[in-house]
Amino acid sequence: MKSVKEKRPAGQKQYYRRKKVCKFCVERIDVINYKDVKLLSQFVPERAKIMPRRISGVCSPHQRQLNDAIKKARSIALLPFTTE
Amino acid sequence: MRNYEIMFIVNPNATDEEIDKINGQIETIVTNGGGKVEKLEKMGKRRLAYEVDKQREGYYVLFVLTANGDIIKECERRLRVMDAVLKYITVRTDEEARRVEKLRNFRQRRAARRGSGAGAAPKQSIEEAMQ
Repeated sequence: MKSVKEKRPAGQKQYYRRKKVCKFCVERIDVINYKDVKLLSQFVPERAKIMPRRISGVCSPHQRQLNDAIKKARSIALLPFTTE
Repeated sequence: MRNYEIMFIVNPNATDEEIDKINGQIETIVTNGGGKVEKLEKMGKRRLAYEVDKQREGYYVLFVLTANGDIIKECERRLRVMDAVLKYITVRTDEEARRVEKLRNFRQRRAARRGSGAGAAPKQSIEEAMQ
């Protein structure tokens, strides 16, 4: 995975941030299926909210598909709406 | 005719005969309406993510169909009426399958143009990916 050096003025501490990549693009997952609980649960943290793109790094077309899949999975009780 | 998937949850206390009876009823509706049952999968008992009708478990059944709107309408009506069915969902799959096919064709063509031979073969077929 590529590291991206942040541009900073001299004197300030440099740090490296790993560039986020979309899991679905990298692994060539074309269909995000609502039945694939194992895959979907990677994108729902403990409170069962959908993980934002800013954190997971998923690209926008895939995030949209992921959203749909998670919502379908919720409606058939494969994923929780919320944790009690 | 379009492709659909119907998934529903049956009460876990229902017997095998009751589940088979429900499946039989759905199958009759589909075949009588001129549709076709491509696949019938009993996914078995699994824990529900939340309580439905005071149940924490459910028996999942999945139908893959070729059908039209009227058949689906009738199936959904029947599922709603049945007491043993806790929940159901219908998903249309043909549009998604078409999109994926297009994407894969595009990818293959591009790989061929670059002269990298066969290109990256898809890891799984469309049918597999849809399951």
